[in-house]
Amino acid sequence: MKQTHAIRTVASDVLVVGGGMAGCFAAVKARAAGASVTVVDKGYLGKAGQTPFAGGMLIFNEEWGDELDAWMEQIAVYGDHLNRRDWTELCFRESHARYEDLVSWGVQFERDAAGELLRGGVPLGPCKASHMGTRTPSLKLRRQVERSGACIVDRTMVSGLLKGGDAVVGAVGFPLDRDEVVVFRAGAVVLAAGAGGLKVPGWPIGDLTSDGDAMAYRAGATITGKEFVDPHASRADQDAPSAFGSFGRPGDGGRPRFGPVVNAEGDELRPTGTLFLSFEFEAHAGRAPLTMKLKDEDVRVVGGAASGMSVHKAEGVWPAGLDCSSDVPGLYAAGDALGTMQTGATYAAIGQSIANCAVTGARAGEAAAGYAAAAAARAAATADAAAQRAVEDLLAPLRRRGGFSPRWVTQVLQNTMLPYFVMYVKHGDRLQAALTTVEFLRDHLVPKLYARDQHELRLAHETGNMVLNAEMRLRASLFRSESRGCHYREDYPRRDDHEWLAWVLISEEDGHMALRKEPVPAAWHPDPALSYEERYPLRYPGE
Amino acid sequence: MAIELIDAVLCSGCAACVDSCPMDVIRMDPDEDVAVIRYGEDCMMCELCLLDCPEDAITVTPFAPSPPVASWG
Repeated sequence: MKQTHAIRTVASDVLVVGGGMAGCFAAVKARAAGASVTVVDKGYLGKAGQTPFAGGMLIFNEEWGDELDAWMEQIAVYGDHLNRRDWTELCFRESHARYEDLVSWGVQFERDAAGELLRGGVPLGPCKASHMGTRTPSLKLRRQVERSGACIVDRTMVSGLLKGGDAVVGAVGFPLDRDEVVVFRAGAVVLAAGAGGLKVPGWPIGDLTSDGDAMAYRAGATITGKEFVDPHASRADQDAPSAFGSFGRPGDGGRPRFGPVVNAEGDELRPTGTLFLSFEFEAHAGRAPLTMKLKDEDVRVVGGAASGMSVHKAEGVWPAGLDCSSDVPGLYAAGDALGTMQTGATYAAIGQSIANCAVTGARAGEAAAGYAAAAAARAAATADAAAQRAVEDLLAPLRRRGGFSPRWVTQVLQNTMLPYFVMYVKHGDRLQAALTTVEFLRDHLVPKLYARDQHELRLAHETGNMVLNAEMRLRASLFRSESRGCHYREDYPRRDDHEWLAWVLISEEDGHMALRKEPVPAAWHPDPALSYEERYPLRYPGE
Repeated sequence: MAIELIDAVLCSGCAACVDSCPMDVIRMDPDEDVAVIRYGEDCMMCELCLLDCPEDAITVTPFAPSPPVASWG
């Protein structure tokens, strides 16, 4: 390290890490509850994370004739009965109030000529979403955060949480363009740092590297849902045509374009679910390349664009309560960083992700404000020694004169994890082989990552977080010895309701990653009188 | 390749693209007061910079160079 880093301290009742839909709602609602709030974003709040690219929001409203039971059934059936029904219902019921918040903040949803809200869905059930366009809603959110009086800290990566005794009392981070360290002291922390991928070309989530999950795990929180994969596809003929939707371009107004997909033999693939593993199964059978027939061009399609990420809301901090708390005092999570399992094992209805971000963001902000009011004295008394240790950990890659570059370790990780036969079409042997490599990256390469400046310091911490995320994914995938939703095991090609109506929970025990089952409550099980095919409409190869 | 060019003649130095980039690819050149591509290899081609540039000074292509995996690096 060439220069000494100045240490800046920022204190507030509530610290929100991440400024997408969830983080902005958390900040605004925590302020409304009377807390002082700091929101920190790795990029410029309003232009980072997934929110600038998201447009559709599911809105449920009984006054519009929406029937709760029918909406719940769609999610249960297409989420392979692994959704947490308490969260599914809660997010439905509170989605309309959050939609009204957004409208009052100036976000415009698409309406017909008569001014009626346009609503649409997929032909799996009654769930409907409305479109608010991309890019501008996240800037409207920023305006609202500014109006709320919350302090915004842009272009600053948070790399670790601060503990005071058993409780989280802040975080440490660093700006990207100044040799400085920031110590955030807070009565409560809301992680809204999104999910994360493996920086795959073709999907604009390269800034999301599971930072929230990684920090929460290291602070003692429980993580869930790592075995489920997000099967978004992209174009094979270009590296990044997908910024505003799978096959859309900014000029398309943020709407993805779709058309029929045919395999190498000229057979058209039957549409299955919303986001299922159909493309991967075709590739595995030797029937790639796949071609999407758009109106004006034929596009070669390849999967794995969001590799490293789960189905939305099917990964993240395991909620200890419906207030978005974790099992670590003072630590809350929201949005894609919170594993509500709202949609279960597949993405069972369009627009759930944004709705959930708004609902959980608001809940987390309010709950964190309440907790912080009671915990204020404790935050002030945080041990300086703990902060000093956290700062040393943060700066470690800058202090090394050599070792391994974050970009190279990321490349090795991608080569290990990205082929479809590791995380999309899984087998115990292949998962174990990949895990052996990832354990080596964890033990030998990550501790020797070096950085030459603050930008590379960010890359180093991101790389460590991606390696941890990969280990969680491989272990959870090995642990779940069945297939369910977007988790397919060739060696266990059927759902196993006897053993696996359960979620996988991950936590650190004695320095090791420990996994356990959390059973789905019996009241939420599918009707045992129904046949397997009736319970599960989506088929796997080999079952 | 990814972000290819920020035209220094067209660039007005407003720094909108610096904020737009989620990957911290673009920085201001303190001497020339224009935006420059500082960490081009980290571009994810999301095109937010291109969309936000008021001067149409930025060129982004949907192709990125893919370096071979070296034995170490």
